[in-house]
Amino acid sequence: MSTQLSPRLSHSAALILKALSLGYCFGFDVMEVTGLPSGTVYPALRRLERDELVESKWEPEAEATLNQRPARRYYQVTRQGKAAALAATQRYPLLAHLVPEKRS
Amino acid sequence: MSPRLPSPLPSFDRNLLRAVAAIVPPPEREEWSRSWQAELWHVRHPNRNRTVAARVIADLSLGILCDALWLRTESWRRLLSGTAIFCLASLLLLDVLSIVMALALNGGWHATALYLGAPFKRFLVETPLVIFVTFAIACRRYIAQRSSSRKFYWVRRRLFFAAKILLSLLLAFLLSVDVCQPLHADFPVTSELLQVFLFTIVALVALRWVFTDQEQRCKQCLRTLSTPARVGRPSHNFLEWNGTELVCKHGHGLLSVPEMESSWCRSSRWLEPDWEQATTI
Repeated sequence: MSTQLSPRLSHSAALILKALSLGYCFGFDVMEVTGLPSGTVYPALRRLERDELVESKWEPEAEATLNQRPARRYYQVTRQGKAAALAATQRYPLLAHLVPEKRS
Repeated sequence: MSPRLPSPLPSFDRNLLRAVAAIVPPPEREEWSRSWQAELWHVRHPNRNRTVAARVIADLSLGILCDALWLRTESWRRLLSGTAIFCLASLLLLDVLSIVMALALNGGWHATALYLGAPFKRFLVETPLVIFVTFAIACRRYIAQRSSSRKFYWVRRRLFFAAKILLSLLLAFLLSVDVCQPLHADFPVTSELLQVFLFTIVALVALRWVFTDQEQRCKQCLRTLSTPARVGRPSHNFLEWNGTELVCKHGHGLLSVPEMESSWCRSSRWLEPDWEQATTI
């Protein structure tokens, strides 16, 4: 039995976490797919990172230079974050329908 | 490292980032600038519709500001969270708010001073009694591992404790007065009795909190101890120690709080790391 309790997330945070877990990894992409304003998305991403539900990394510089664009900071859901996203989906069942899966 | 962008950002974006960057704490400023320059560059990407880009930039401006404000408040939170200054400032703020409420309810300084006269005299009589009762029932004391705790820390702890008691009692008094004020005009005797009763209850609870809070603070830096961990097995209560251990985030020591008081383990123990011994190993 897992002793770690998944944190209770607000609806916005759960939506953002769901978007990240579906492959939208940039702040701007999350904004576009969730329809949430930037004033909500970026601070929420920072909070999720502080709570270790997501981690941020920089794109490899070489890859960005090859595509003639600057490297961006992207977010990944951690193992704890995946558990929290699952718990949030159970708590907010409609969440799964609000964010479409990212087409690669 | 300053980011190299394939094409420069418009002057509006650059000025916006420069202005808002002042809010961001200096250690995080460079990375913050870099990440926002990249985000803005992608929004201004040549393939993107210009009207859409302008709308998005307007929205992103709010995001840039909120992000910077979040970083600033988070740095303050990290700096002040659990500190003695934050605790005293919060109590002082509550006291000030209670005074403002009293002023609003009574309609001015003069009326407030007149109304507070009698309750304040009672407060001066009740306070020593409340303090006596609280000290008498506060049986939990901690034992320091050794008496090397410097005099300075001891004095600072006592001053903090006294300030907390003073501010908490003042808050209890002001709250009890504020709550009973609307009743005072119609039921003066009931209001006075209620005020005494309320003050006693709130003051006892507040002083109980003061004791608990004081116990669960680092004896050196006075920050709240964190990461409570259960140690031992409750089923072995009579055979071995079991309870909770709390540590100071800054490594000043560890507090062992026994689950139940026994003849051989009556008090909490404050254990300081022996760095001299640790370095000789």
